[in-house]
Amino acid sequence: MTTQALLQVLASGLLMGLIYALIAVGLSLIFGLMDVVNFAHGEFLMTAMYVVFGMFLFTAIDPVLLVPVAAAALFVVGAAAYLGVVRFAMRAKANQGMVQIFATFGLATLMQGAAQYFLTPDYRSIGNSWLGGKTLNLAGVFLPWPQIFGGLVSIAAFGGLYLLMSRTDFGKALEATREDQGAVALVGIDRNRVFALGWGLGAALVGLAGAVLAIFYYIHPQVGATFGLIAYVTVALGGFGSVFGALAAGVIVGLVEALTAALLPPAMKSIGIYTLYLGIVFIRPSGLFGKL
Amino acid sequence: MNRRELLLAGASTVAAAAVAYPRNAALAQAPKEVTIGVIYPMSGASAQVGIDARHAFETALDIINNDHALDLVAAKGAGLTALGGAKVRLVFADHQADPQKGRAEAERLITQEKVSAIIGCYQSSVSATVSAVTERYGVPFLCADSSSPSLQKRGMKFFFRPAAQDEMFSAAMFDFFDAQKKKGKKIDTVALFFEDTIFGVDSSNTQRKLANDRGYKIAADIKYKTNSPSLTAEVQQLKSADADVLMPSSYTTDAMLLVKTTAELGYKPKNLVAQASGFSEQVTYDAVGDKLKGAITRASFSLDLAAKRPFIAKVNEMFKARSNRDLNDNTSRQFMGMLLLAEAIDRAGSLEGPKVRDAIAATDIPGTSTIMPWSRVKYGADGQNADASPVLLQYVGNKFVTIFPSDVAIADAIWPMNG
Repeated sequence: MTTQALLQVLASGLLMGLIYALIAVGLSLIFGLMDVVNFAHGEFLMTAMYVVFGMFLFTAIDPVLLVPVAAAALFVVGAAAYLGVVRFAMRAKANQGMVQIFATFGLATLMQGAAQYFLTPDYRSIGNSWLGGKTLNLAGVFLPWPQIFGGLVSIAAFGGLYLLMSRTDFGKALEATREDQGAVALVGIDRNRVFALGWGLGAALVGLAGAVLAIFYYIHPQVGATFGLIAYVTVALGGFGSVFGALAAGVIVGLVEALTAALLPPAMKSIGIYTLYLGIVFIRPSGLFGKL
Repeated sequence: MNRRELLLAGASTVAAAAVAYPRNAALAQAPKEVTIGVIYPMSGASAQVGIDARHAFETALDIINNDHALDLVAAKGAGLTALGGAKVRLVFADHQADPQKGRAEAERLITQEKVSAIIGCYQSSVSATVSAVTERYGVPFLCADSSSPSLQKRGMKFFFRPAAQDEMFSAAMFDFFDAQKKKGKKIDTVALFFEDTIFGVDSSNTQRKLANDRGYKIAADIKYKTNSPSLTAEVQQLKSADADVLMPSSYTTDAMLLVKTTAELGYKPKNLVAQASGFSEQVTYDAVGDKLKGAITRASFSLDLAAKRPFIAKVNEMFKARSNRDLNDNTSRQFMGMLLLAEAIDRAGSLEGPKVRDAIAATDIPGTSTIMPWSRVKYGADGQNADASPVLLQYVGNKFVTIFPSDVAIADAIWPMNG
């Protein structure tokens, strides 16, 4: 492999990795907050892609400008998912973990089915947009603008998340609720409200990722599955509940995937990720940055 | 077994015999209905294929069950005449592109729905398991649109495929390359790019062998993981190889991602000759058609043929009224498969698996009474129709034009597509 080809693979892996991180962080955030694994996470991503696609279709506003709209829409979806489904699942007296898994898994199936029924399973994609199909050529290394934009959105989102968690009352409430759900109720924090906002925030983050992906990826009711699995591996690798673990792990997954595809037969490119994941599980079962 | 169960069993045996006897005694008392099982991906990543297939089969059903004045197999007369005008009923089942789900659905259709035949299944991997079940139960399987050559090489008695398989399709591609070379065009290297299930793997095995036999160098040989989130590293390798012809065997999702990624990495394949599938779906061209100008795909079907056989335009109209799109490589094969199956069941004059099987095996229909460019339909001992002549289509001016073989071509190929 030439140096240029290697640089290309690393650059592509890095950009994809930042997007993986952005997809995974919402999942990690929700888990860290309340120990619930959201199996509908991929479907949140799919919803965001359709929101952007639909808005683009009807208003012709460029997807780049629709990124905050998608995040806002997904905030509502996430909060509604908590208030409408997960809140009730958490009331289960026995086998709470299983009930939560089935509840979010059921939500995922419902969302997929609804998308297929109402939006048809046709593959959609956004044709002409500002960034679509445009590429930055850095001395023979090609960086597609949509992915560069995705990487920037991802970095900005992590920056914003850091400020939110460390500098605001809401961030402190999140952190406190994560530490001890019972105690926060005693000091007057409404646990339900924090959870709903946490779900909203987690979904808004995956909404950002969906909006970015909609620019360059095909849109389809099952598209969540393609990225969902990677999100779970990323979260497990970075450590459940760790926001910055998700960032590091996303980048690692992107790079390892790209390198494996370049060095081994591409059909085996997942092997690199899962080998790494298994290695981490043996050495550090809680993930790279996990506190559990 | 207690006394009550014994009584019940006895009573039902008597009842069954009573029902069965008059039916055997007078075969003229034909069934009112013939049930055919249809197993397709109705949900999951290939759901659109299943939905289009459903429209194709319902168009076929309309033609079979109602009287149509078309010079087409099974069109004349309402229902199946030899079975006293019995209507065909379709039972749809969803396999979600999962071979195991396909197997389970085939069992259910045979044992619960008592289907007389099964048609399917798009993904070759699913057709493989479904045809194993039909073989075991002695029910005919009509493989409408799976193209893996290995499917017919398992010594099956109940497997039939009227359309071409990938050895025939790939041979046509290399015949075309040879013809282009004779005209003085440069084709020395090919790049194989194929997905990692039975369709892609079988297709590439055939193409690899043909390339070696006919003296084309394989510049890249890439098996990729289907439904990948990214194909950058894979396309990077294609770009470095920069073969004279890129030959993808990809389903729709991967086809779209492949084309987008080639553009992103600044790679313009000199030529692209595809093993249909994703490259015969309109959605692919809706999404990335601007980057596919001059792309060539193999096909079993071409709407150009309507100029010679006007009923093709009529059938296309009927299909379009249901699905809002033109017949393509997949839907035409599904449609035709159903008509051929109905014709054979009609000829069998029976719903019993072995009799239907013998009738299908005895099929001999001229290509002109089909909507396909085939010379005729006649199955070999392995169940494959050897006369299903494939065509190559080129995407020019937002539509497909037949460019090969020369006897049905209406234009010369634009070669190279990206000069």
